[in-house]
Amino acid sequence: MEMNSIQVPLTKAEIKERKRSESQKKRSELRKNIAKNKMIYLMIAPGLLYLFIYKYIPMFGMIIAFQDYKPYLGIAGSEWVGLEHFKRLFTSSDFWMILKNTLVLFALQILIYFPIPIILSLMLNELRKEYYKKTIQTMIYLPHFMSWVVVVSISYVLLTLDGGIINGLLKNFGLKEINFLLDSSWFRPMYILQIIWREAGWGTIIFLAAIASVDPQLYEAAKMDGANRFRQMWHITLPAIKSVIIILLILKIGDVLELGFEHVYLLLNSTNRHVAEIFDTYVYVAGLRQGQFSYATAVGLFKGVVGLILVVFANWLAKKNGEEGIY
Amino acid sequence: MGNWRKRVSALFLMLAVFVLMVACSDEDSASKDEASGEEKGKPKITIMTKLHTAEVPDEKLLKLLEEKANVELEIEWVPDNNYADKLNTAFSTGTFAQAVTMGQDQVDQFKGAIRDGQFWEIGAYFDEFENLSKLKEEVVQNTMVDGKVYSLYQGRPLSRQGMIYRKDWADNLGLEAPKNVEEFYEMARAFTEDDPDGNGKDDTIGVTDRGDLIYGLFKTLASWHATPNNWGEKDGELLPEFMFPEYMESMNFVKDLRDNHYMNQDFPVTSKEDQQAMFKNGTAGIYVGAIVDILGLYNDAIELNPDLEYDVHTEVAGPSGEFTIWANPGYNNEILFPKSAIKTEEELKDILAFFDLMMTPEFSNLVQWGVEGEHYTVEDGFAVIDEDQDKIQREVFAYNMLGIGEPETNGRYESLHNYEPRQKAEELILINNNHLIHDPSITLDSETYVRDGERLQEIINDATYNYMLGEIDEAGFEKQVEKWKSEGGSKIIEEFNASR
Repeated sequence: MEMNSIQVPLTKAEIKERKRSESQKKRSELRKNIAKNKMIYLMIAPGLLYLFIYKYIPMFGMIIAFQDYKPYLGIAGSEWVGLEHFKRLFTSSDFWMILKNTLVLFALQILIYFPIPIILSLMLNELRKEYYKKTIQTMIYLPHFMSWVVVVSISYVLLTLDGGIINGLLKNFGLKEINFLLDSSWFRPMYILQIIWREAGWGTIIFLAAIASVDPQLYEAAKMDGANRFRQMWHITLPAIKSVIIILLILKIGDVLELGFEHVYLLLNSTNRHVAEIFDTYVYVAGLRQGQFSYATAVGLFKGVVGLILVVFANWLAKKNGEEGIY
Repeated sequence: MGNWRKRVSALFLMLAVFVLMVACSDEDSASKDEASGEEKGKPKITIMTKLHTAEVPDEKLLKLLEEKANVELEIEWVPDNNYADKLNTAFSTGTFAQAVTMGQDQVDQFKGAIRDGQFWEIGAYFDEFENLSKLKEEVVQNTMVDGKVYSLYQGRPLSRQGMIYRKDWADNLGLEAPKNVEEFYEMARAFTEDDPDGNGKDDTIGVTDRGDLIYGLFKTLASWHATPNNWGEKDGELLPEFMFPEYMESMNFVKDLRDNHYMNQDFPVTSKEDQQAMFKNGTAGIYVGAIVDILGLYNDAIELNPDLEYDVHTEVAGPSGEFTIWANPGYNNEILFPKSAIKTEEELKDILAFFDLMMTPEFSNLVQWGVEGEHYTVEDGFAVIDEDQDKIQREVFAYNMLGIGEPETNGRYESLHNYEPRQKAEELILINNNHLIHDPSITLDSETYVRDGERLQEIINDATYNYMLGEIDEAGFEKQVEKWKSEGGSKIIEEFNASR
């Protein structure tokens, strides 16, 4: 570290030269590495091929966002319209509403949902009886395997004013009935609670795996130093899984505009549209149902770009703070 | 170094060959199929159509059809509720079947493609086919695009809307079938408040409705109030229904029903199944919708309550004292013939010949009623349907989608029902015919409507629900109408009027 102090500033040309030789060195290192581990690289090949065929070739289709795409004319035959579809999106009277709704639901996911699996797995980790732990785990994994249709239907049956159990209970206790399904202020709580109910248990898997890899000696040492359960959790477990948390958080941020079309679409109705309409549901009606592929693609592309920017930003932020990041 | 490159490229090559092999073998088997079809001299016909039941139907009728018509049939059943998506996907990937079912709104969306020549114009061939030439001129006209015929229609009665209600409850309370909307309201009130089932508990409501402004309560009630059917004329100009005072009156009517708890509170998010369940299990006493559904409802309901009695009714007069009811264009679905799937005129004629056959009495009875003696019997020239509704649903119902025309043109039996109210429904449909409100926009054109119509309609649907739920007032509703106008509605009005 002290070496820095005596370093002479480099000229631009020197920097360039140094960078080039560095990258050359890297490249030849990569080659050596490949030659050494060729079987491993060979095993990667099918995966790369898969990515190429199913992820990269379809990207080519994105150019229809700049066309007035007609399926029977194909990409080659369709007319170019430039940024027309993007203009239409940005000038649509609903654009800001949709953007806001999308961001609010995203914030709810990050702030409320995201920490829950972590807390849950910390709590599960504290359970010393394997039997209890396994039972609870199984129980909280189960909802993940239900489709959104089922989850939303169950909520409907519980919450409806026409003989729903919850409103029945409220009435029995002499309280006022609550119109959960048609009152727009209940949309967001319902949305996030359903996600927590369905996904929180499943989300613990990866954190429990991270916790399991913590060196037990650390705990022993901490115990020697007189740390109680909570202290051990705070000073050992949490720091140990910090990098996993950050990586998952960055990945989650990448999904910023992917809030689960099916889920929102099922909850969406005439009274809550002003808080529930998101890009996915908007595209479904304005784009796909009416066969406006170009427009739908343009909206999808916009979503993707916003997601990408956020991931890059989050990753940069993580690295700046001395974390590993995802690349 | 060159070594690993060679190896990798060899691997890629291998994979490529493998992929090709798989692809080719698929092709092989496909062409083999075709070949074997040709050997037997059977044309192969592919059809994509809507499925209204939960399960794909039994193949018994399909086999019979293939045998009798001497064709090879491949039917792609697509559930009705995601049919629109499937249409668009099939279109964009060029995987259309040779004959494709579309609803009227879906044809609207494909108008651009129709104009661009993506579908066969079939009007010119009608003369060559004895039965197709019999299709009703006035209905065919409703299906035309720019004065040309692109589709075969599946006829249906112009209006099957009306109410089904608990006759036993009405009798208990000494009520008659409502003659006008006030009496309808009174019945809803009495069914809610006067303990119609006599169990001493406050456990009934008047009306049950679902989140469907068209086939549920709202549109039928609105047409009782003399609201135009989608579009109406005011001062010589065509305007959408929601700009008429009758629309507001109808919303107020439903709002009153809901505010007084005479109908289910969550109706905007109630599914058809839940709505029907409420009616069948004795929670609600009035169901507004297609009156022919009474048989299915009754069969389920008597399993829960053998003493229950239903009746059907349509003639409910509006405030003006006159009874009016909205009409569909005389068909519910059309069958179109995409050029991407039918390459030659010869092929097209083969397919038209098949549908011509479907319009003969023999085949139209087969796809509508099933096998005589097994699914129905004939009495006095009427088809009497087997009582086993489940079996009909499983084996016959879906194939209705292959029928062309209507009884007058295809010569199939009208039905005769042992359950008397069901039979009465048939008679009421005929009475409805004399009180129809037609939709004047059916044959009109608007580019904006095709592009944005569905999204714009969403604004109005939302406003309608919000008004009925009391979330917005009249001024709020007007504001939404203004929004509709400014986002393309004005253009639609202009374009529709210009195309008259």
